[in-house]
Amino acid sequence: MLQLLVAGLTVGSGYALVALGIHIVLRATRIINFAQGEFTIVGGLIALTFVQVLHVNTWIALAGATLVGFGLGLLFERLVLRPAARSGEMALTIATIGMVSILLYGHALVPGWGSLPQPLPAFSGDVSDAVAIGGASIQIQSLWVLALLLLALALLYVFFDRTYYGKAIRAAANNPAGARLIGIDVTNARSVSVGLAIALAAYGGTIIGPITLVGGAGGVVIAIKGFVAAIVGGLESPAGCVLGGLLVGVVEKLIQGLPGVSYGISDPIVYALLLLALLIRPQGLIGARSAVRD
Amino acid sequence: MIARLRADARALPVLAALVVAFGIAAAWNPTFAQAGTYAAIYAIAAIGLSLLMGNVNQISIGQAGFFGIGAYAVAYGTTSWTLPQAAAWPLAVLLGVVSAALAGLAVGFIALRFRGHYLAVATLAFGLICVGVFHESAILGGAIGIQDVPYPQFGALTISGYPAYWFAWAVAALVAFASINLLRGRTGRAFETIRNDELAAEVLGIPTRRFKILAFAYAGALAGLAGAIYASFLGIVVPDAVSVPLSITLLLMVVLGGSGSVSGALIGAAILGVIDISGHQFENSREVAYGVLVIVVVIAAPGGLFGLLRNLAKARPRPPLDEPGATRAMPAAATRVVARAAPVESGAPAGVAPLAVEGVTKRFGGLVAVNRVSFALERGTLTSLIGPNGAGKTTLFNAISGVGTLSDGRIAIAGTDVTGWQPHRIAALGVGRTFQNARLFGEMTVLENVMAGSFRRERTSFGADLLALPSARRASREAIDRARATLARLELEPLAGTLARDLAFGDRRRVELARAVAADPWLLLVDEPAAGLNANERATLQRDLLALRDDGVTLLLIEHDMRLVMSISERVMVLKFGTMIADGPPEHVRNDAAVVAAYLGTGA
Amino acid sequence: MLLDVRDLHAGYGALDVLRGVSIAVDRGEMVAVLGPNGAGKSTLLRAISHLDANVRSGTIAFDGHDLVRASTVDGVRFGCLHVPEGRQLFTELSVDDNLRLGAFSVDRRTLDADVAAIYARFPSLAERKAQTAFSLSGGEQQMLAIGRALMARPKLLMLDEPSTGLAPQIVEQIFALLADLKRNGTALLIVEQNAYLTLQHADRAYVLEGGVIALGGTAAELTADPRVRDIYLGGSVT
Repeated sequence: MLQLLVAGLTVGSGYALVALGIHIVLRATRIINFAQGEFTIVGGLIALTFVQVLHVNTWIALAGATLVGFGLGLLFERLVLRPAARSGEMALTIATIGMVSILLYGHALVPGWGSLPQPLPAFSGDVSDAVAIGGASIQIQSLWVLALLLLALALLYVFFDRTYYGKAIRAAANNPAGARLIGIDVTNARSVSVGLAIALAAYGGTIIGPITLVGGAGGVVIAIKGFVAAIVGGLESPAGCVLGGLLVGVVEKLIQGLPGVSYGISDPIVYALLLLALLIRPQGLIGARSAVRD
Repeated sequence: MIARLRADARALPVLAALVVAFGIAAAWNPTFAQAGTYAAIYAIAAIGLSLLMGNVNQISIGQAGFFGIGAYAVAYGTTSWTLPQAAAWPLAVLLGVVSAALAGLAVGFIALRFRGHYLAVATLAFGLICVGVFHESAILGGAIGIQDVPYPQFGALTISGYPAYWFAWAVAALVAFASINLLRGRTGRAFETIRNDELAAEVLGIPTRRFKILAFAYAGALAGLAGAIYASFLGIVVPDAVSVPLSITLLLMVVLGGSGSVSGALIGAAILGVIDISGHQFENSREVAYGVLVIVVVIAAPGGLFGLLRNLAKARPRPPLDEPGATRAMPAAATRVVARAAPVESGAPAGVAPLAVEGVTKRFGGLVAVNRVSFALERGTLTSLIGPNGAGKTTLFNAISGVGTLSDGRIAIAGTDVTGWQPHRIAALGVGRTFQNARLFGEMTVLENVMAGSFRRERTSFGADLLALPSARRASREAIDRARATLARLELEPLAGTLARDLAFGDRRRVELARAVAADPWLLLVDEPAAGLNANERATLQRDLLALRDDGVTLLLIEHDMRLVMSISERVMVLKFGTMIADGPPEHVRNDAAVVAAYLGTGA
Repeated sequence: MLLDVRDLHAGYGALDVLRGVSIAVDRGEMVAVLGPNGAGKSTLLRAISHLDANVRSGTIAFDGHDLVRASTVDGVRFGCLHVPEGRQLFTELSVDDNLRLGAFSVDRRTLDADVAAIYARFPSLAERKAQTAFSLSGGEQQMLAIGRALMARPKLLMLDEPSTGLAPQIVEQIFALLADLKRNGTALLIVEQNAYLTLQHADRAYVLEGGVIALGGTAAELTADPRVRDIYLGGSVT
């Protein structure tokens, strides 16, 4: 049971980061970035390239992938989102869907990446290293994932809540006109936000890499579970997104762990959870009703 | 007819010719014929999605779900039922289409409760749940799906191979024809108003939510039909084939071709269908190219390829208005006043106030925009609501017409408590309203805008629209005549064919007033009608407002032009920071110390 | 002249609001723009700060810079601050954060002292330091908006209807504050409905009507002019 819980929290960490990334882009651009899952996959692959080509360990690859992710985010905002925004919100959302297509099929074309999932070296020791806690065998890698998730959350919290510039970015998202009136460049703020969101995606794709592998066609599913997480937890609240992600991960693993239940049924159940959340409490566990209802 | 749709209808015969030409050429090449058949199948689904996206501005990333419902219905019905094929096939198709339509209704009903992106996610969820159900259902073959689905059979005739191309395109042609009819009729006009300005449509009494749900159901039904035909010709249905990638492909198709038009959907489907011929070895590059293409289209040509073609064609001068009623002699119009078709009989029974506002309060966080305002209007009077900026006047109007919710208080219209009612329901009671910034339907002509005003009075059904029955055409003609009469009375006739977004500012307000009047309201809320008008226009406005009042309409005006207010109002109410500080005849109010202080400050 | 606007034509979309307006504000002056609703007062400020009105023709010179082609952010950096009618506060952030962010475009070494000075002027804001801007009353929001703008050390502070929603005592406080700012060298351009009170504090004033300047002069001249009241209340012209 504890084993399932930890497994759930591990995969849930990935979902949490996707959900958080969606939240950040939402705040900055007012639309949902449907390509967040694909960026997660690509992020992991970038880390793989660092490992394979530059022969560095996974930690450095993590830092590298995160930085490259930030750069990708800036490019994405500048070349895709900003021009598309002129055509309206729907156009913007469609642009992110176009991005899904590009990344989903495009990543397989990059030399060294291919279309099948590949393993990323462990953060320490061997992937199968495990430690015994409370009668269950817990992978060390899982502990790393959780620790790294907490690290990311801490850093983001400090940035957005304790630094001047982070607050300026929140202000620009909250009220662009007001921000301009006191001299904040809203366009730059938006750029940085998207950069951070994609950096987060890359970070997320890398930390779960040793366990769930990087690459493959799972981007769409990860994105979707990220949405489920965001909606269940609360799309408009960062804490909600994280909570939602962990919850979805745990629910998924618990279902899969039930005796006699086919492995594949956990996905439809998770999607049904999404529909349930939309019907019963669309603002999520942590969220205000007014943000959602028409 | 709306210019956009006119272009659409004109393009169809051209496209039909191309389809026929391609079909003849493909007779010798089975691969081409096959690709063409799939293009037709996609086209059917794409038309539905195009209508949904373009006309009611809703994204659906779950169309594959409806497609799958249709496909599985046919696959299951024709392989498991013990009926003879000739009966099983049409029955299964019917089952598929109806199920998909019902699912569309359900999805629309649920999804439309949410704003923008939540709606897109809801459609995605639907698509995924469908796939999940297909995947896990034993009777639907689980992960393996259903195989050996037979070809469509009509008596002794089996449709397969080359004839499949013609069959599929025949169905697509029928769907295109029906869809164009829908768009040209009342339903299409309602869609167009929603697409242009949903709020303005609501206050005209158009039940926007109902139409949006209808659009979902229609898009669902068409996707289901497409799926049904797909299953019959491919012979196999597997869950993976009706999943998110298909939804994305359909979306891409519609965006590429141009959402909102039937021709756009056809163009998009044809392009993607034909490119698919290149086979599987370039699949990845192809999909990447689609993605890039969609982004480029969205940035550079938001109207899709069809939009581009239209823009090129626009180099020619706009054809003259050729509505059916155009050549009929106009009724002797005459006076410059806005006379109603008949004096006000319906509406408030004598003795009941047309509008009664009790303790109405509206708060935005810590801000109190309207503070316990109460008043009742008398039938057939003209009352003005004035006050310094930010006094809460428009907020009060919003509250009365059902836009937004009240924090406290009640509103009664002709004795009926309408607190919490949707705007279109309140409008349906006979309440009209104009906005501070003249919310016209920019891409519709002045005539079409005014037609929208009398929308409630058009009597026709969805089915009649679809089949372009005489009753639907008659309803359209009557609507046009009514609108022309209103335009004539307001001396706006010369502008009938002008697009609303091309109007000069002064004309915009008059057209908005004409549109509100076309709905025949007995209570009219007018928000700053004189703003931006020159002296002549103001004089005309004054005459028009008084004429309305003389016809028995109860008028409530927000206005800043003091001269106008003082000269035409029977009663003036003054609002300051959300509170009513004066209420009485104009002269009385003008000399009220509190009012002077409100406007000019103290210490004079 | 610190601010020199000449023959300005501006509006929104198809609507022309200002039809050739010329005003000027010198260093250390308080100038008021009065007039009835719809006259174009707000539009004037919005055109100068480039918030949303479009300038069709005319010039706007500020401290040697051309504001017509400058962005809102540029204007702030030049020292021209605009506090609009809607206040545009950061509703999700706290009062303290709103104030501190006001100093975004200036030297922040004395940030803490500057914020403390604002709190000294507006004690009720100090009480609500940690509350979100959304939860403040109308009057408090107005004070916060002004305080935030002051953090940017403006050379010219443009205020759009600062007395809206404020109780008379608070309005007096605000005007006292403005007088204080003026004494310390900040120029002020105030758009107001509350004509007479504004005239008590301003040096000069213009009266805008129908997009053009109808009257102009010193505060004393306009206070005595009966045409001001006529313009506001539709006078004897019917």
